[in-house]
Amino acid sequence: MSEPLIEIRGLKTFFHTDDGTVRAVEDVDLILNKGEVLGLVGESGCGKSTLALSIMRLIQRPGEILEGEIVFQGKDLLKLSDGEMRLVRGGDISMIFQDPMSSLNPVYTIGDQLSEAVNTHQKDLKKDEIRETVFEMLDEVGIPDAELRFSDYPFQFSGGMRQRVMIAMALSCKPKLLIADEPTTSLDVTIQAQILDLMRSLMKTFDTSILLITHNLGVVAEIADKVAVMYAGKVVEYGDSVTIFKGHRHPYTKALMGSIPRIDVKQDKLEMIPGTVPSLTNPPPGCRFSPRCIYAIEDCSKIVPPLIEVEPGHQVWCIRVHELEDWGS
Amino acid sequence: MENRNVEAGGRSSLYSRALRRFFRNRISLLGLAIVLILVFVAVFCPYLAPYNPKKQFWGDEWAKPSSKYLFGTDDLGRDVYSRVLWGARTSLMVGIFSVAIITVLGVFLGSIAGYFGGVVDQIIMRVTDIILTIPTLILLLLISSILRTRSLTIIMGVIGLLGWPAMARIVRSQYLSFKEQTFVEAAKTIGTSDMGIIFKHILPNALSPIIVVATLRIATAILTEASLSFLGFGDPTAITWGLMLHRGHLAVRSAPWVAIIPGLAIFITVIGLNLLGDALRDALDVRL
Repeated sequence: MSEPLIEIRGLKTFFHTDDGTVRAVEDVDLILNKGEVLGLVGESGCGKSTLALSIMRLIQRPGEILEGEIVFQGKDLLKLSDGEMRLVRGGDISMIFQDPMSSLNPVYTIGDQLSEAVNTHQKDLKKDEIRETVFEMLDEVGIPDAELRFSDYPFQFSGGMRQRVMIAMALSCKPKLLIADEPTTSLDVTIQAQILDLMRSLMKTFDTSILLITHNLGVVAEIADKVAVMYAGKVVEYGDSVTIFKGHRHPYTKALMGSIPRIDVKQDKLEMIPGTVPSLTNPPPGCRFSPRCIYAIEDCSKIVPPLIEVEPGHQVWCIRVHELEDWGS
Repeated sequence: MENRNVEAGGRSSLYSRALRRFFRNRISLLGLAIVLILVFVAVFCPYLAPYNPKKQFWGDEWAKPSSKYLFGTDDLGRDVYSRVLWGARTSLMVGIFSVAIITVLGVFLGSIAGYFGGVVDQIIMRVTDIILTIPTLILLLLISSILRTRSLTIIMGVIGLLGWPAMARIVRSQYLSFKEQTFVEAAKTIGTSDMGIIFKHILPNALSPIIVVATLRIATAILTEASLSFLGFGDPTAITWGLMLHRGHLAVRSAPWVAIIPGLAIFITVIGLNLLGDALRDALDVRL
């Protein structure tokens, strides 16, 4: 079960802007096992999407992947040629985006766009076979009257329907890995639940693993097996979903969990994390969370925290993690 | 099923909505009518013209407009009416061929510059800047006075080769905005190649301004060729409105029809194309 599908080691993705180098992702290590959902959580601008685009190798100038390995099924994606990488995109790895309203090309019908996705990676299919595959995919993602909707344009679909189409498109080539970048953020809550259910059931049908990027902890709790918490371009804690929610050890994770409104406790004020996310152009030395951390000591702003495995499969990047053992949850 | 009927009402693509806007406007209909007449005359002039446009009726030089010669004859006794009809063919040919060159070059270079950016963009845009500094008419005058043969082909080629920068700039700006759209990124994630994205995904979205610019450019090209011919540097063997104007302008007091008729033809054609272009711009909601 826990065979790694993708292993990211020491990934560094920087953006060279006029205002300096933005260290969007720095020294990130991450493992996604086969058949699992890895939830990647963090505040806006902490490097989640950059990480996803790095995996797809779709980082555009002024961005650049400087170092690291992204080992996918035994191959380092960063070493593939552009042509080989194009076969991986949509074939082995595909992606869905936050905004389903603009993810589809407005001038082509739903059917055309799905057909293209199918045809790109299965060139030997005949025209009616492609059509048949598209109907199956539309059916699979719960779009009724697939034959009728085939020749509809994107503007004739609602947001939820479009996200279903995007999922159909992403899964049309039965990828091993689906990267979902905030797939439910722009949908309303009932549709969110439907889309999550759909993703979970399709995972089994197509034997796909999911990297789910979100800032919505509720979504992560609902669907993820493993969770990685990112802060300011770095992963600060990684572990089982249950561990992260119930037995998290990093002060940032604790603060993040504390800021979730709870229904079972009377709260007058929501907890919040003091300070703001640091600039990634000039991140604080040592632990990047140290300026906002209530447990920070002098060393925190001097030493870059190493990986500390507090228990098998539960990794924390905090030098005080053992001292802080007793703060419980 | 009821649901679908509701949608059928809104089932208007960008272009059918544009078409409705277009036909609501009287001015645009006028432009369209003029252009359609121009095309009709250009295609059917051999059947519409009463005489061979090159035939000289000796003894009938400078004939006044009459039932025999509807718009009179010129200094060589040729029927002005027949020549005006055939002139439509030349003008339209000049317009279409030079704009074809403009469109192919402009769209290709503009899309590559806009999509790839960086060094490619810099090089293409600096070349467009250089070409934009060259006045088309002056260069054509220069070429005509150097070359022995003055052919329409060269004129059309030069208009085309000097005219693409405006198109390239418009296309580039379209690509600059479209390449940031999520659907382009989504197309990349399913493994579409750069060329596939440039021509299959973005180009259809950028079509509206291309159509508008092309229409307006046809008018400019026709006017350029007419100016050149009027100055006596056009193709002397072709039947063109500019050349007719050139031959008629000295006798404008004694035989005004020889100059006025082709002048009117140029005027109406250019107005028609500009009206059509403006109407398309409004209908397609293009901001240039």
